[in-house]
Amino acid sequence: MTDEDVQNLLRRHRFAAALELLLDRYQQKVFRSVYSILKEAGRAEEVTQDVFLKMWQVLPDYDGRASLSTWLYTIARNTSLSALRAESYRKTLAMEDFQPPAANWEAGPQQLEIKQLVQRLPEVQQQVITLFYLQDRSVEDVAQMLDLPEGTVKSHLHRARRALADMVRR
Amino acid sequence: MDCREIQESLLESFEGTLSALEKSQLDRHLAECPECKQFAVLQSQLDLRLREEIAAPQLSSGFRAGLLAHIARQRREPWPDWLPDVAHFAGSGVAIGLCTLLLPLPVPVVLGTGALVAFLTYALQTLLLSALERQIE
Repeated sequence: MTDEDVQNLLRRHRFAAALELLLDRYQQKVFRSVYSILKEAGRAEEVTQDVFLKMWQVLPDYDGRASLSTWLYTIARNTSLSALRAESYRKTLAMEDFQPPAANWEAGPQQLEIKQLVQRLPEVQQQVITLFYLQDRSVEDVAQMLDLPEGTVKSHLHRARRALADMVRR
Repeated sequence: MDCREIQESLLESFEGTLSALEKSQLDRHLAECPECKQFAVLQSQLDLRLREEIAAPQLSSGFRAGLLAHIARQRREPWPDWLPDVAHFAGSGVAIGLCTLLLPLPVPVVLGTGALVAFLTYALQTLLLSALERQIE
């Protein structure tokens, strides 16, 4: 199944069939993209449903100017960020309970909570490094999902890795 | 290549994009430079932990069926959710206005009675609509 197949169905106004193909191809990727922003699987699934509902509503207006993946990931990103903003108060409260891990070199990175260290990175680096590992370490997929050039994704990845190493050494 | 460039090559190696030549340059440098070697060991450990801990979550098995059922429900709805409410209160407003003009009764009595009837019929409409929705589901 290719994007061209989906576009053929859309041209023939077979929206339900197009939706099925889009779900086959993108539901898991969209879910991971949403999860990389919300960091909570249950909430990410709800928001993924919202993403596909929004997509369903605007599917007849899709004009093919942007690729289907770019279009879908843009909806996913905007919907996730709206959900994140709506939950910012709750997250602020949660951050008050956050205890930075007592990192030291002797303990080695295997003894540290890597996820906690990742949470101390700048937001964009968190998202890039999380998506990189969620997407089977594909820079191309991450670039597509975040609508960034591959070089920028690599640069964020390298900075994130250096920052994580610094945190572990400290 | 200096240490900074070697470390960049090393970071690039985790993306699987290093050429054979770059890989051999990297290996030669690591064999001779303890500082870069330590950096390489640490980065390899981090990479391993990130691979283990950032596991891809899966959508629940009912996700797709739930989404398609939601869409099917939306497709059955011939009007937006808010339309019956707006239509009811707009209609009630017009009816009360006409009664105020046409009936030989004091205006406060007509307005009061009209408002009461409007709210009672609104409650009835809400009950009927929710019963209808339950039946559709």
